[in-house]
Parts: sequence; structure tokens; C-alpha cells
Amino acid sequence: MFSLESITNAVQDWLNANFSPMWALIIQCAIVILLAMGLFATLGLVLVLMERKVAAHMQIRLGPNRVGPKGMFQTAADTLKLIMKEGLTPEGADKLLFNLAPFVVMIVSMLLLAPLAFSNGFQLWDLNIGVLFISAVSSVSVIGILMAGWASNNKYSLLGAMRSGAQIVSYELSAGLSIISIVVLAGSLQISDIINSQQDGWWIFKGHIPAIISFVIFIIAVTAETNRAPFDLAEAESELTAGFHTEYSGMKFALFFLAEYINIFIACAIGATLFLGGWMPLHIGHWQAFNHVMDYIPGVVWFFGKTFFLIFVIMWFRWTFPRLRIDQLLNLEWKYLLPISLFNLLLVTLIAIMGWHF
Amino acid sequence: MSASSVIFYIISACTLVTALLAVTTPRIFRSAIWLLFSLIGVASLYFWMEVEFIAAVQIIVYVGGIVVLIIFSIFLTQESGAKMPKPALKRALFSALAVLFGFAFTYNLISKHAFTATSTQPFAVNVSDIGEQMLNPTEYGYLLPFEVVSILLLAAMIGCIVIAMKSPVKKVISENGKGVLAPRNEHKEEVDEVTS
Amino acid sequence: MAFIKQYISEVFGAVRSLWKGMRTTGRYFVRPKEIITQQYPDNRDTLVLPERFRGEVVMPHDENNEHACTGCTACELACPNGTIKIITKFDITPEGKKKKALDTFIYHLELCTMCNLCIEACPTDAIKMAKNFEHSVYDRSKLTKRLNKPGSKIREGIE
Repeated sequence: MFSLESITNAVQDWLNANFSPMWALIIQCAIVILLAMGLFATLGLVLVLMERKVAAHMQIRLGPNRVGPKGMFQTAADTLKLIMKEGLTPEGADKLLFNLAPFVVMIVSMLLLAPLAFSNGFQLWDLNIGVLFISAVSSVSVIGILMAGWASNNKYSLLGAMRSGAQIVSYELSAGLSIISIVVLAGSLQISDIINSQQDGWWIFKGHIPAIISFVIFIIAVTAETNRAPFDLAEAESELTAGFHTEYSGMKFALFFLAEYINIFIACAIGATLFLGGWMPLHIGHWQAFNHVMDYIPGVVWFFGKTFFLIFVIMWFRWTFPRLRIDQLLNLEWKYLLPISLFNLLLVTLIAIMGWHF
Repeated sequence: MSASSVIFYIISACTLVTALLAVTTPRIFRSAIWLLFSLIGVASLYFWMEVEFIAAVQIIVYVGGIVVLIIFSIFLTQESGAKMPKPALKRALFSALAVLFGFAFTYNLISKHAFTATSTQPFAVNVSDIGEQMLNPTEYGYLLPFEVVSILLLAAMIGCIVIAMKSPVKKVISENGKGVLAPRNEHKEEVDEVTS
Repeated sequence: MAFIKQYISEVFGAVRSLWKGMRTTGRYFVRPKEIITQQYPDNRDTLVLPERFRGEVVMPHDENNEHACTGCTACELACPNGTIKIITKFDITPEGKKKKALDTFIYHLELCTMCNLCIEACPTDAIKMAKNFEHSVYDRSKLTKRLNKPGSKIREGIE
């Protein structure tokens, strides 16, 4: 059966046989960096095109369809255009921080890639606090946005950054609580343990209604944390021109744009891992025959299928709902999502202690 | 020198340099950003020591919490972008002396301490062990500090709510003895002024 | 208790209304046949324009090279930005009377906003809106058009 683990093991064996351990490590690092950058570039191209196509079809339009077959090379052409453009730094901006901010945002997204499990045994770093690591590192991304907004020396950018900061800080709470409810059920923070605990069914099915509620809350909070509509106040075009990246152009803008889509991918991958079993195929209890049939589909396909399904749902939100006002946004978090997820966490804990889940 | 110690020196150098920059830069926002990098450096030292839980908590509490708070308060101050004036020579001299004294003191302490290489293996900390230790009422358990801290935080939260809460509208006794709401006049505005 | 009841019903109401919106967009997403985009330069032959599309003002002539314009200048007066200029002449009727008639109907397409006021003002329905929209030319003077064909005259029986 197809498995990525055998490939990685073969590469490691070959490297260890031919090089000294230190060089083997360095070459492995280089391979990982290349793969990660390749993944990021492809994801950026694919997700932007997917967004435009989904948006078009939801608005009874066709979307980009001129560059290449069905418009497939549209984003590649756009990227080429952005590379050609001049990267301006406005007069009066804090030059150092202005140029540093896009890289901070990008590095944070890259760090979040580390604990993701793409397939059985295909994971960069299976650290024992995987989920905690994710919520810790993702809280740093707000700094990059604040930095960009402040360094631009532009009132729209500053307002956008402030909004985005308030939004990310408050929605991190309910995202964290809904993640914790799955951690309580699985009994571990390690990503591989959480995936293995879904051997006989995904948590969204095994955890009864509380798991579904926390899944919904997670999706809402993640949409807010990635600054996407209906929570895109940070870059509300009609009010703030483009929010924190108003002054950015060329490749620096492209980094922000890419980081936004990478963050969506990572958030959805985490959601898929926690609630939908990551690379684990659809298993139902002890139906051995059914489970074996499902095992024939490789884990990578399952992982990317689930992740892209969640990304589609988030895009669906974006092209359906109107933007929230800032007070509605904070009301939603503090009056609805947070109390509900706290109560839900109690329910989940009760289920976990009594062993009521399947 | 092994790769591990090279990484150690790089991380330490970054932490120290950014910490120095944080206190010497004349711009207050940059100073906050350098502080952020310094704190991340400390967190990466924890990662280097393979105590991931402490590292993650360091990032959540200091980087994600405190530095964001500091940045927000900088945003709300006037002239946050202006360069601060250079400190007076006397003050600079005294702070340099204080730094020197502090450095000498710590260096003295550290140089007298005999560091011995431990023979124990690096221990793998299980998160559930940490949790159980945290809620352990027996000796060496941390139940009491845990609860005390949570009561402190609860008090702080209630304090915030009390400060942020609107004052209840004053009731004015009308002539026929019924309590009616105060009309929107200067009475209410006075009340608001006092509370705000 | 009433508060909790209201809270829960609010949450359910919100979820239901959001789901309604998502169902609408989802329905459009799964039905690509309903897409209304016209792939314009490729489908010149099959291009479908809406019923009331306004491209330019034209004056229809019948097979005898006759139009319905009496030269009353109602359209010229109705036009908000001086797009139409009507030059009149005097015809001699068979009875020997002088009668005002249209000589030249000048239409400045470059000034026209397609507001449709001239068509509404016309008492004899002599002009109407055409659906042609490919107006680009290299010379601005080509946009000044004469709407009545040379040698055309007013149809019998129109006053």
C-alpha cells in the first residue's frame, strides 16, 4: 500500500549510509526546507485560484478563465506581476519594522507547519505538546500585524492593526477552549496520539453533540483569527482601504497575502486533525471490512481532502455573510461563543470522565 | 564544538543583543519589538533544553500576552513614534554603574558556583504528569498555589468588571411618592462624570 | 430562566438564519448552469442582451425609406445634455400648404448617457434604443451621426 513513511525512511537510510550523521542532518533540513517552501508556493497558487473560483460560482459568475485552461495559470501570472512590482517604503515609515513585519508573519506560519501530520509517520516534529505549541505560536502572528500597522505611519493601517489585534486576542480564547475539549477527549496534547485515538471513528462523531458544538465554535473562531470575512474588519476595504497592509506593495504585499492563505490552510489542517481525524481514514467502530476498504485510500488524500473541505466551508462563509461591526464582533465572542464553549467544555469533561463517548 | 553548542551560542547571542537593543533604542515601539525578540530567544533556549511545555507557556504568556499588551498601551499613548531625547549624562553614568554592579554581583555568584555535569538522562516530561502535579494536594503538590493564583485572577477580573460597569441610573422620588427614572438632565450627567 | 430561554432561542435563530444564507449560495455553487456571465468577445454570434438594454438611439425606417419623425423637436428639448440637434425644413403639401418637416436628425453619441428621455418624449415613436454597444472608433467625429437616411421622408398619415 502507498505510504509516505517508506519514502522518508528510504531517504534517511540512504543518507545515513553515505554521509556522516551531521551532514545527513543538514541535508535532511535542506530537503525539509525545500519541501516546505514548495508546499507554501503551491498552496498560495492553488488557494487563491480556488477562492476566486468558489466566489465566482457562488455569485453565479465564471471567475478567471482566460489564462491557461479554465484560468489555471491566473495566480501564477498574478505572482509574476507582483514580483515585477516595486516594493515601496513610504516616507515617514519606520523602515526597519516596516520591512521586517511581512517576514515575521510568514515565519510564524512556517513554524506552525512543524507539528502537522500529513500522513502516517510523515510529520516534521511530533513534539509532546503539539496542540499547545500551535496555539502558542499562532498567538505571535498578531505581533507581525501590529508591527505592520504601526510602522506604516498611516491611520488606516494603525486602525486596522488595532482591530485585528483585539479580534485575534479575543477569539483565541474560544478557539483554545474548543481545542481543549478535544484534548480532554483524547487525553493527550501530542498530535500523533490525538490522531491515533480516532482509530475507531473521528471525534466529531464519537464525542456526541458537544464535539459538534466545539467544532462549530472552532471554525467560527478560526475564521475570525485569520481575519477573513465576515470578520475581516482588520482589512475592511470600504472603511480602511486595506487595513494593516495598505502601504505594502510588490513582494512584501505578496508575503502578507500568502501568509493569510497559509494561515487558513494551517487552521483548517488543525481542525481536520482534531475533529476529523487528520490522515486517519473514515473508520466506523468495529466494521472491519469497511475499515479495510477505507484503508486503501492513502492518508495524504484523506488529510488534504478534509483540509480542503474545511477551507471550502470557510470560503463559503466569506461569500455568504456580510461583514460584522466591531461591537457585534466582540459581542459574538464575549456573550455567545465564550460562555457556550465554557459550558461545552464542562459537558465534554463529564463525557470524558464517565466514558460516555464511543 | 558540537552543533548543539553552536545553536546554544547563536540563541544566546540573539537574546542578549536584542535585549541590549530593547533598552538602548530611542524609539519606544521598537524597544517593545526588541523585547519581543528577546523573549522569543528565551523561549527558544527552553526548546533547546527540550522542556517544550515551559517554552510554549513562555511564548503564550510573555510573547502572546504581555508584549501584545505593551504594544497596545504604546498605541494608546501620545507621540509613540517620536524619538525619545537622549538621557542626561549623569543619569546615563549612574545607570551604567548600576548595570556594572549588577553584572559583577551575578558574575561573582555564578563563578563561585561549581557546576557539575549531571549524569542523569534528559527526562521526558509528560503533560499529564504536569497536570497531576499541579492539582496534587499532597506534599510537593501545587494545589494550594494554583487555587490562590486563580482566586487572585478572579478578583482582578471582578475588579475590571466593576470598573467598566455603568453606574445604575439614580431613582428620583417624585412628588406622588412613586420612584421614577431620573429624566435625562444634568443629574445623570453628573453621575456619569463622577464615575468616569 | 426566561433569560436563558431567550438566550438559547437567540442562538438557534442566528444559526438558522445563517444556514439559510449558506443554503442560497450553496445552491448557486452546485448549479453551474445558472451562471449568467457572457463570455463576450468569444460569443458575438450567440450574445444575449437583456430586453431593455440601451446601446444607442436609432431611427427605424421602413422598406419605402420612410420614418415617423415629424421634426417636432420634443426629443431635443427633453435631452438633458444637448445630444440631439434637429434641423427642420418646410415641405409643400399637395394642397399647396407649407408644412414643417425633418431635414436632419443629428445625434451626438459621444455625449449621450442613454437616459431614454428622448424616446419617452417622442409623440410618434420615431426613435428607439438599439442594443448595439460596440461604438469604439478612432476618430471622435465619427460618433456624430445623422439618424434619418438620405432621401427619406415622413410616413403618410403621421401628424
